[in-house]
Amino acid sequence: MKIGAVGIIGEGEVADKLQETLGKAKIKVVLTSLKGDYGQQIAESDLILELAPEELATKKKVFKNCDAKCPKGAILATTSSNPWVTQLASETKRPDKVVGLNFTKNPFEEKFLVQIVKGLQTSDDTIQAVKQFLTDAEVIAVKLEETPGFILDRVIASVVNEAAVMYSSKLATKEDIDKMMKVCVNWPMGPFEFADSMGLDRVAEILDQMTEQLGPKFQPCFLLRRMVDAGWLGKKTGRGFYVYS
Amino acid sequence: MEIKKIAVLGAGVMGHGIAQVCAQAGYEINLRDVKDEFVQSGISKIRKFLGGSVEKQRMTQAEADAVVGRIKGMTDLEKAVRDADVIIEAIVEDINVKKETYQELDQMCRPDAIFASNTSAQSITEMAMATKRPDKFIGMHFFNPAQLMRGVEVVVHEKTSQETRDTIVNLCKKLGKEPGICQDSPGFVVNRLLQIWYNEGLNMYDEGIAEPIDIDTALKVAYNFRMGPFELRDLVGIDIGYASTTTHYRELMREQFRPPRCLIMKMKAGNLGRKTGKGFYEYK
Repeated sequence: MKIGAVGIIGEGEVADKLQETLGKAKIKVVLTSLKGDYGQQIAESDLILELAPEELATKKKVFKNCDAKCPKGAILATTSSNPWVTQLASETKRPDKVVGLNFTKNPFEEKFLVQIVKGLQTSDDTIQAVKQFLTDAEVIAVKLEETPGFILDRVIASVVNEAAVMYSSKLATKEDIDKMMKVCVNWPMGPFEFADSMGLDRVAEILDQMTEQLGPKFQPCFLLRRMVDAGWLGKKTGRGFYVYS
Repeated sequence: MEIKKIAVLGAGVMGHGIAQVCAQAGYEINLRDVKDEFVQSGISKIRKFLGGSVEKQRMTQAEADAVVGRIKGMTDLEKAVRDADVIIEAIVEDINVKKETYQELDQMCRPDAIFASNTSAQSITEMAMATKRPDKFIGMHFFNPAQLMRGVEVVVHEKTSQETRDTIVNLCKKLGKEPGICQDSPGFVVNRLLQIWYNEGLNMYDEGIAEPIDIDTALKVAYNFRMGPFELRDLVGIDIGYASTTTHYRELMREQFRPPRCLIMKMKAGNLGRKTGKGFYEYK
């Protein structure tokens, strides 16, 4: 299946980026708002990309609505960073055509990575179609089975958690831990810099999801919990492991 | 304490690089290994590296010659260490061999000489306690290649004196390195965190969540990691990675450090990475 028209529900950087690259690839883009009557506007699309807020109930509603309004063959994609693909698929009559397309913006360059999230019922045809679409959109993509944290958050949150344990036990200062990872093994950022840019609340949330679904080794360090309690959530609140002015 | 003369023990992968870095900073170096061929091999690698720097016009031939001229190769341990201010040890990663060597050094070295171990795997405390100068014992962990990697983990233990610590931090700076201080513990800071990064990558493959290429690509494209965990395992060697993971698991005794199944199987099958032509990926 070739995707020739995309309907995007919601706003943000991802929508802007797609509009730009898809235009070049001669793929038709329809931008719609969650508040408007998006059901009518996306009725001609081959792929619907949902950018609704990260609330499961809201997304379920969107999926139900899209399923009713879109042509039978259309693919419904969620951009959620939570492992909700299979649940959202169950809201529709086309679970084989529901997939996750999670965009991560590179903090150093103007580029995105897409994690294609395969739900339990997502078909290979659907995966192939979105892969081709992303190639046309000039976005690099990787594929994974639906699991908490996907690839990126699982690795980074695990590293942040261990670094927090090391910092709490006074093995080294946070500044030295960050610096060492950068100058000794060329990491792009230290663990605490990653934590502050992801948001401590998000790190703790991912660790909790992984603990619940994958096992106790992901349990968040007490320091992360206390920081969330204190509202020290990182760059977005002006204070996390570091203070930002 | 002012440092003039440095003895580097072990002329292997790490030792020769450390000797070069110290000589380039102007120190007089005694580079010692157990066999003359090891010493000569180390010195010829230094010459080759400096030759490359001359070719790229980063230094003149005269400067390169002066650096090599400051490095004296030898096999006699006593001669190598007796007038050294600092002994940087980069010998085989075997705690018993290291402890025996330090006991000998304790007799041969000046009483104020500092012992700095480049170990990445052994306990600094345990080695320090094999000497009569635990206050003058410290870890100085360089990364491969030592000539290029800027960071040095300065590993202190309960008995390391403030003076020893200051001296070695200053030495690092004079070598043009960035020191970071950490307390003695398994894997120190860098390898312990790297272990988590490797393991979570490899575990996802074991769990059937994603393929090595997807995991590597994700980390490189999204966050600019220079290599992904599978590529780096292949580059460093599956056997080296297996040994490191096993040590961390044994010493830290936590599930996070358990060696992933795929690593164990590659190890058993002899698919050790680039050096055997096959690891997680194939190489031609």
